[in-house]
Amino acid sequence: MARKVFHAMYDDDDKLKEAAQLIVDKGIRVKEVFSPFPIHGIDPIIGVKRTRLAICAFMYALTGTSLALLGMWYFMISDWPMNIGGKPNQSLINNITSFLPVTFEFSVLCGAHGMSITYLLRNGTVPGMIADNPHPRSTNDRFIMEVTTDENSSMSADDISQLLSSTNPEELSEKEY
Amino acid sequence: MQKEAAIREPLILGDKSYSQITEDVMAPIVGSPTMWWKVLITISGIIAAWGVGNILYLLGVGIGTWGLNKTVGWAWDITNFVWWVGIGHAGTLISAVLLLFRQKWRMAINRSAEAMTIFAVMMAALFPGIHMGRIWQAYWVFPLPNQFGSLWVNFNSPLLWDVFAISTYFSVSLVFWYIGLIPDFATIRDKVSGGWRKKLYTALSFGWSGRAKHWTRFEEVSLVLAGIATPLVFSVHSIVSMDFATAIIPGWHTTIFPPYFVSGAVFSGFAMVLTLLLIMRKAMGLEAYIHTKHVEYMNIVIIVTGSIVGVAYITELFISWYSGVEYESYAFINRATGPYWWSYAIMMTCNVISPQLFWFKKLRTSLMFTFIMSLIINLGMWYERYVIIVTSLHRDYLPSSWSEFHSTFVDLGIFVGTLGIFMTLFLLFARFFPVLALNELKTILKSSGENFKKADH
Amino acid sequence: MGVTKKYWTGLDELHGTEGYKESVQNEFTAETQAASEFLAEESLDETSTPRRDFLKFMGFSVTAATLAACEAPVIKSIPYINRPAEIVPGIANYYASTYYDGNDYGNILVKTREGRPIFIKPNKDFGEGGLNARINSSVISLYDEERLRGPQMGDAAKTWSQVDSAIAGELASASNIKILSSTIISPTAKKAVSEFAAKHNAELIQYDAVSYSGLKKANNGIIPKYDFSKARTIVSIAADFIGTWLTSNVFQTQYTKRRQPEGSWMSQHYQFETNMSLTGSNADYRALIKPSDEGKIAAAIYETLTGGTADTFEKAIQDNLDKAVAKLRENKDKGASLVVTGSNDSNVQKIVAEINKVLGNEGVTVDSSQGINFFQGDDTKVTNLVKEMNSGKVGALIVMGVNPAYSLANAEEFVSGLAKVKTSISLNKYADETGSKCKYMCPDNHFLESWNDFSPYEGRTDISQPAINKLWSTRPAQESLLKWADNDMSWYNYLRTNYNSSYSEATKHFDDSWNKAVMTGVWAGASMELSNNSGTESTSEGEETVSVNNISAALVAAKGAKTGDWEIKLYEKIGMGAGDHANNPFLQELPDPMTKVTWDNYITMAPSDMRELGIGDHIYLGQRTFAIKANVTVNGKTVNLPIMPQPGQASKTIGIAVGYGRGAGDELIGRAAYQTGEYGDYLNAGTDENAVRTPIGANVFGFVSSVAGDSVYSNIATLELTEEEYKIASTQMHSTVMGRDSIVKETVLAQFEKEKNKPKGMSTYNVMPGLVVHEDTNNDGVLDGRDKSHVRNFDLWEAHSVEQVGHRWGMSIDLGSCNGCSACVTACHIENNVPVVGKDEVHRHRDMHWMRIDRYYSSEIKSINDTETIEEKGLGVIGAYADMENPEDNPQTVHMPMMCQHCNHAPCETVCPVAATTHSNEGLNQMTYNRCIGTRYCANNCPYKVRRFNWFNYQAYKKFKHINVSQQEYGRMVLNPDVTVRSRGVMEKCSLCVQRIQSGKLEAKKASTPVPDGSIQTACAEACPANAITFGDLNDKKSVVTQLSADNRAYGALEEIGVQPNIYYQTIVRNTEA
Repeated sequence: MARKVFHAMYDDDDKLKEAAQLIVDKGIRVKEVFSPFPIHGIDPIIGVKRTRLAICAFMYALTGTSLALLGMWYFMISDWPMNIGGKPNQSLINNITSFLPVTFEFSVLCGAHGMSITYLLRNGTVPGMIADNPHPRSTNDRFIMEVTTDENSSMSADDISQLLSSTNPEELSEKEY
Repeated sequence: MQKEAAIREPLILGDKSYSQITEDVMAPIVGSPTMWWKVLITISGIIAAWGVGNILYLLGVGIGTWGLNKTVGWAWDITNFVWWVGIGHAGTLISAVLLLFRQKWRMAINRSAEAMTIFAVMMAALFPGIHMGRIWQAYWVFPLPNQFGSLWVNFNSPLLWDVFAISTYFSVSLVFWYIGLIPDFATIRDKVSGGWRKKLYTALSFGWSGRAKHWTRFEEVSLVLAGIATPLVFSVHSIVSMDFATAIIPGWHTTIFPPYFVSGAVFSGFAMVLTLLLIMRKAMGLEAYIHTKHVEYMNIVIIVTGSIVGVAYITELFISWYSGVEYESYAFINRATGPYWWSYAIMMTCNVISPQLFWFKKLRTSLMFTFIMSLIINLGMWYERYVIIVTSLHRDYLPSSWSEFHSTFVDLGIFVGTLGIFMTLFLLFARFFPVLALNELKTILKSSGENFKKADH
Repeated sequence: MGVTKKYWTGLDELHGTEGYKESVQNEFTAETQAASEFLAEESLDETSTPRRDFLKFMGFSVTAATLAACEAPVIKSIPYINRPAEIVPGIANYYASTYYDGNDYGNILVKTREGRPIFIKPNKDFGEGGLNARINSSVISLYDEERLRGPQMGDAAKTWSQVDSAIAGELASASNIKILSSTIISPTAKKAVSEFAAKHNAELIQYDAVSYSGLKKANNGIIPKYDFSKARTIVSIAADFIGTWLTSNVFQTQYTKRRQPEGSWMSQHYQFETNMSLTGSNADYRALIKPSDEGKIAAAIYETLTGGTADTFEKAIQDNLDKAVAKLRENKDKGASLVVTGSNDSNVQKIVAEINKVLGNEGVTVDSSQGINFFQGDDTKVTNLVKEMNSGKVGALIVMGVNPAYSLANAEEFVSGLAKVKTSISLNKYADETGSKCKYMCPDNHFLESWNDFSPYEGRTDISQPAINKLWSTRPAQESLLKWADNDMSWYNYLRTNYNSSYSEATKHFDDSWNKAVMTGVWAGASMELSNNSGTESTSEGEETVSVNNISAALVAAKGAKTGDWEIKLYEKIGMGAGDHANNPFLQELPDPMTKVTWDNYITMAPSDMRELGIGDHIYLGQRTFAIKANVTVNGKTVNLPIMPQPGQASKTIGIAVGYGRGAGDELIGRAAYQTGEYGDYLNAGTDENAVRTPIGANVFGFVSSVAGDSVYSNIATLELTEEEYKIASTQMHSTVMGRDSIVKETVLAQFEKEKNKPKGMSTYNVMPGLVVHEDTNNDGVLDGRDKSHVRNFDLWEAHSVEQVGHRWGMSIDLGSCNGCSACVTACHIENNVPVVGKDEVHRHRDMHWMRIDRYYSSEIKSINDTETIEEKGLGVIGAYADMENPEDNPQTVHMPMMCQHCNHAPCETVCPVAATTHSNEGLNQMTYNRCIGTRYCANNCPYKVRRFNWFNYQAYKKFKHINVSQQEYGRMVLNPDVTVRSRGVMEKCSLCVQRIQSGKLEAKKASTPVPDGSIQTACAEACPANAITFGDLNDKKSVVTQLSADNRAYGALEEIGVQPNIYYQTIVRNTEA
C-alpha cells in the first residue's frame, strides 16, 4: 500500500502541544515535530527520550584530566626532570600544586569540545548537511507535526488525516512516498 | 510553561509576534547597511590598518621599539592583554552564569556579548604573542614532540597556565557561541531568498531543521556548556592573575588577586558590553529588545563588582601596612604617592568612586549617563592593570634599579589598533550575524512579552 | 664467424654522398650556429635569433641562473698548512706583556685565541698592582678601523721608503729639531731617542697630558714612590689615588690590603676634596673644601704638627682636620702615616713633602730619594716650545705618543705654532688632533703589536711583547727614529742587542735570560739604567727642578691661592683618563663610578647649589627629566655642558672631567668617539656635505691654570645657566638605599671588634633573616619571639638538595674591599661579548652590563625605623620615604657589585614558560639562549634586576653600527669565541663565566685531580685589583669562598625573601667612631 506522510502545521506551540496530546491519546505515534524553538513539555508527549550528552561530557572531561596528569608526569617528572627554581620533581605528588591549573583547563577543554562534537554528530548537523524541515516557516513562526502511515499501520491514511484535521491545524498536507 | 509575575517589567516591548521578532533581527542582514554602520566601519577599519602597521614595525625591528627597559619588562603589552581578557569575560558570564540562574533578560544581550567575548579574547591573545622577543618561536609554548629530544615546556610557569587557560577559554566560548547560532542561521536560511546569502547561511546552519529531539539535545548542551563555562570563566582570570600573584615582586605577590581580578574582569566586561550595546541598539534599531530594564540590570551588576574591586584595593593597602614587610608597604605608598600617583588616582576615581553613582535609580536608568560611565570604567580598568604592572615593577627591591616607563608611539599605535580591529570585527558581526538569540527570545515572548503580559489581564 | 652488422644513419651514409662527408667533418651543425653568434657579443646586432632559439637561450639562462642561485655562499677560510706549534685551535694562549700609554702602566697577560688578542688580564704572578678599566679594555683599540694603516703625507698615503727619504732630506737641512714625547720609561727607547738626538742635535721634551711637574719640583725633580700599605693614617688632600692619581692601580692594591677589618690593623683614611672622587667615596672621613683651600689645609696640618698657629676652617672641615692631625701625631716618627695631595701646585706639594718628613714617613711610606720614572713631563719646557714654534724658530717637530693640539691648555697657540714648523712629523697611531695637522704621519704600532721594555722605577725592568703580527703597515716609533738616525737595525734587534751585546739573529732563540723575561714579562737580569739625560746637553738640569726649597715661602704662596665665587676643579674620569680612550666603546659605556653616567662629561654640582640656582627640579634625572645646560667660562674660554647633581661636591664649586671633546675637528680618531643619534647616525652628520661629527662632551684642558709654570687643575669660573635641556644617560637613576638594610650592611670598626667572634648572623650589624619557630633555638630555656630559625630552613616543599652534590659555584664579595673602580665591569663586558648599546639606549635604561656596581649614598634618615631623625624633621611615613630619596650633602658611599645571584630557589626559573632558564646541578642559574622566546617574565621576577634583554639585533641593527664592535669588520675579532653572541629577543645575564668553569674542570680532569680551589676565576674576580671578589666551590668545605660564606661578616642580599642566593657579601666595616 502507498506510504503517506502527513504534515500538520500550527501557528502556535501550545496549539501543537494540545493537538499532539489529542492524537497520541488516540494511539497515533507522532514521528517528528519541527519548531523554530524548543517547545517545553513536548518530549514526553511524543515520546522523546532523555539525552545522555551530559554523561558523555563527564566522560570526556575525565579523559582530559587523566591525559593532562599523565602528560605532565611524563614531561616534568619522568622524561627529563629538571631543577627549576629548586621546585621538587621527584614525584608527581611533590609537584602537583603547579599542575592543578593546567589539569583543570585541559579537562574543561576535552569535556566541552568532546560533548559539542558528539552533539553535532548525533544531530547530523555537520558542515555540508542539507536541512529537511518540511516547510521553511517551521524555523520562523510555524510548528509542524509529522505523522506517517507506516508507523501507524493500525489506522488507515484517511482516519489519520481526519483525526489531524480535527485538531484544526492551520494547514494539513499529505505526501506519498 | 512557567508564568511570570505581571508586575515584572516586560523584557520585550511592543506588540511582537514570533515572525515579528524574526523580521526585526533579520532587518540588518537582508537590508542595506545604515549610514551609521558605514561610517563606523570606515573609521575602525582605518584604525585597524594603522594598528597592523605598527605591529609589523614591531616585529621587524624588535621589542626595543616599545618603551620598556631593564626594570620594567612589561607595560602596555601585558596591560592590554589583561584588559582585553577581562573584557572577554562578560560574554560567557552573561550567557553561562545567567543561564544557570535562569535570568531571562540575558537573552537579548548574550549573543552580542558572546561575540564581543570572542573578539576581545582574540585581541587579548594577540599580546602575549607579539610581546615575545622571538615571536617566530611562539609555538614553543606548546608541549609538542620535537627534534630536540626531551625538550618540553615548564608546567610550573603561570605563563604556561595562561596558554592553556586562554586557548581553552577562547575555543570553548567559540563553540558555545556557534552552537547557539546554528538554529538562528537556519531561520535566516529559510527566510532569505536565493543568492549568496542563501548559500552562506545554508552552509553556516549545518542543515539544522529544528526537530524536537535536536531541540532537547540543544538545551541540554547549552546547559552543560554553561555549567562547564562558569568555572572556566572564573579560572581563566584567576590564572591570569597568578602571573602576578605567584611572582615575588611587591605589589604582585598578593593572594587576593584571583577573586579581585575576576570581579574586575566582570566589571570591565559589563562596561564594554554596555558601550557596545548602547551603540548597537541605536545603530540597528533594537530599542524594543534592549532597553532600560536590561541596562539597569547590568548597572546593578556593575555596582556589585565595582564595590568588590574597591574592597580589594582597600584590602591591598591594609595588608601592605599590616604585613610589616618594608618592601610591601613601600610598594603601595609608592603607588599612591610616587611618580605614578596620577594613574593610581585615575584608577581609584574611575573604578571605585564613580560606579557608586549607580545607587541612584535615576542615573542607572539613564542611558546617556550609563554610556559615559561605561567608557569611564573601561578607562579605569585599563589603568588598574597599568598601575599593578608598571608601578610595581618600576620600584622593586633594589633602589639602584629603580626606573621609569615611558610609552612610545608603537605602544600607543598597537593598543589603539586592537581597538580598531575589535570594532571592525564587531561591526561585521552585527551586519551578517543575528545579533539577538532568536530562538531563545521566542521562548520568552509569551512569558515576558509586553503584549502577552497585557493579554493575561 | 661473426658478422658485424652495420647500421646507417641514413641513405646518405649508405651512398656516402658529399653532403654527408662534409657534415661528418664539421660537427657544429646549422642549429648551433645561432648559439655561437648569440654568445659572441660583437655579432649580436646583426644576428637574427629565431623564436625557437630564443626560447632555448631563455631556457638555458633561466636554468643557469637557478643553478647559480642554488650555490651555497663561499666562505673563505685559510687553514694552517703547518700549524704553529703554540697554537691549538680552541685553546687560548697567554703572553706576558706590559701596558704603558704615558698615563697608565700595568703588567698584563694577553689572552689570544687563534692568534687574536681578545682579553687582557693582570699578570698576578710577576706584576705589581692590578689593572684598571682603562688597561683591561684597551684590547679593543688594536682593532680600531680608524687607526692609521700606513705612513701618510697630509692625506696622501705613502710607502715607508717614500716618507723616509723625504723626512731624511728635510731633517738633514732642519735646524733646532724638537721631539715632543710622552714620558719615556723605556731604557732602549731612550737610547734610540738619544741616538737620533745626537745625530740631528735634537732635543727631547717630555710632556704629560695630565702634569705632575709641581710634585716633581717639590721633591727635587723626583716623583716620590708612595706605599699606602704601610700607612695607618692616610690623609689625602684632593688626591684620587685609587682612581687616577699617579700609579693608581698600584696604590689601590696597597690601599685595600689595609682595609680588611680582620687584618692586624686597618688604616684610617681622611680625604679633603672638592669633587666626589672615587677615593673620597672610600674615605672614612671626608671633608668638602674648595680648590683654593687645598694649600690652606696642607699649611694648617703642617703648622699644627710643627706647633705653629694654624688658621681655622668652618666646623665640618675643622673637625676632620683635628681628627686627622691627632691621628697623624699618634703615628709620628713611626713612618706609619702618609699625606698626599693631588694638587700640582709645587708649593702645596712642597708643604706636603715637608709634612711627610716631619712625620718621619720618608723612607717608609714615602720614598723621594729614588722615586718612579713616570710623569717626567716638564710644563715650563713645553710652554717655551710653543713660544719658540710660534716665533718660527723650530725647524722640525716630532710628536711621539702625545696629543698637545688637544690636551694643552693653550692648544690653539700650539696649532698656530705647528703651522710655522717646516717639518712636522707625527708618530701617533691616529690622524688625531695633532697628527692630522702634521706634514708627515708615521704611525706607531699598537702596543699589542710591538716589542718594548719599560723601567717603572730604578731596579725593575718589564718587557712588552707583541701578541699578534701587526695588522697594517705601521712601524714602531723607535724604529722610525733609528731609521732617520741612519741606523737600519730593526727595532727588535736593537732592543735585543741592548740587553745582550752579543745578540745576533742566529742566537736569538738561545738566550735564556731573555726568553725567561719574555715568558714572565719581567727582566730578571741587571736592571736597565734609564738614562735621564735625554739626548743633547740642553737637558737644563737644576734650573727648575729645585725651585721650591723654601717651606716658608711655600706656606705663604699656598695660603695666597686666589679664590672666586665659583671655583672649578678638573678631574680625570675612570673611563677616559686624559682622553686617549675616547674611541673605546667599552669605556664610553662604562658608568662613572660616582655619577653612573655614560657617554658624557658634565658639570658636577652640589644639589644644594642647584636648588639655590632654582634648578631643583633637575636633580632627580630620568628619561623625561633632563639636565639643564650651563655655560662655564674660564680663561676666557667657554664650554656648554649639562649640570649633573653630585652629592658630596663642595658648595659653590663645580667639577668637570678632562678627556672629553676629542675629535672636535672631525679627525679620524675612532668611530665610537662621536655622538650618535636615535637611529645610529652621527649627530650633525649628513645635514650638509661639510658637516662634522659631534664630539662627546667638551674639552676643558683649556681651563687649566698655570701656577709657577705648572699646570694646576683648578681655576676660578663664571657660571651662567641656559634654558637648554640635555639628555644624560645614567645607568642608575636612584641614589639612596632607602634604608633597606638587607641589601647593604655596614658597621664601624669598634663595633666589629666587639662582635667579630660571634657566629654569622648573630651580630648587631649582620642580623640573620629569621622566622620565629616553636623550638628553643637560642637555648634560653623559654619559647619566645627570640627563638628564630634562618629563613633558609623554611620551605613549602622538599627542595632539591644542593649541599654536597657535586660542585656548587658561588662567590663572595667583600664590600669593604670593593672601592668601585669598575675594572670588573669592563672585564666582564669583554669576556662575555656583552653588547655596547650606546647613549640613547642607556638613557632608556637598557644598558646591558651583566655586572654592574650599584652606588648608594647615605640619606639623612637612615631607615624608616630611624624615628628620632624623622620626628626631628617632623615627617610622617610618606614624607620620610620621600625624604630618604635625597642623599646627604656629604654622604657616605657604598659600592656594591651586583650580578646574577644564582639563587638556589631562583624566581626567574619557575616563571619561564619554556624552561629556557633552569638550574644546573652545579648550582648555576643557567640561561639557554636558543630556547628563550623572550617573554621577559624572568627579568620582571628577578629581585636583583640583573637580567638583560636583547631589545634589538645589536649585531645588525643600524642604530648600533658605529658603537657596537660586532658590527665592524675588525672590531668583531675581539669577540670571545667561547661565548655565544646573543640574538635579538633573548634574555641574557651573568653566567659566572661558565665557559671558564668548563675549561677549568677539563683541566682538572686531564690532571685527574679534583678542581683545585682558585684554579677557576671569573673575569670579574680576576680583574679586581682589590681582590674583593672570591670565586669558588661552595660544596668544597676547604675552599676560601666556603669559609667566607660562613664568615661573621657574610650575608646574602635580600636573603629574607628566601631565594637563597649563592653570592655572599661581606659587611662593610668603616674605620670611624659610631
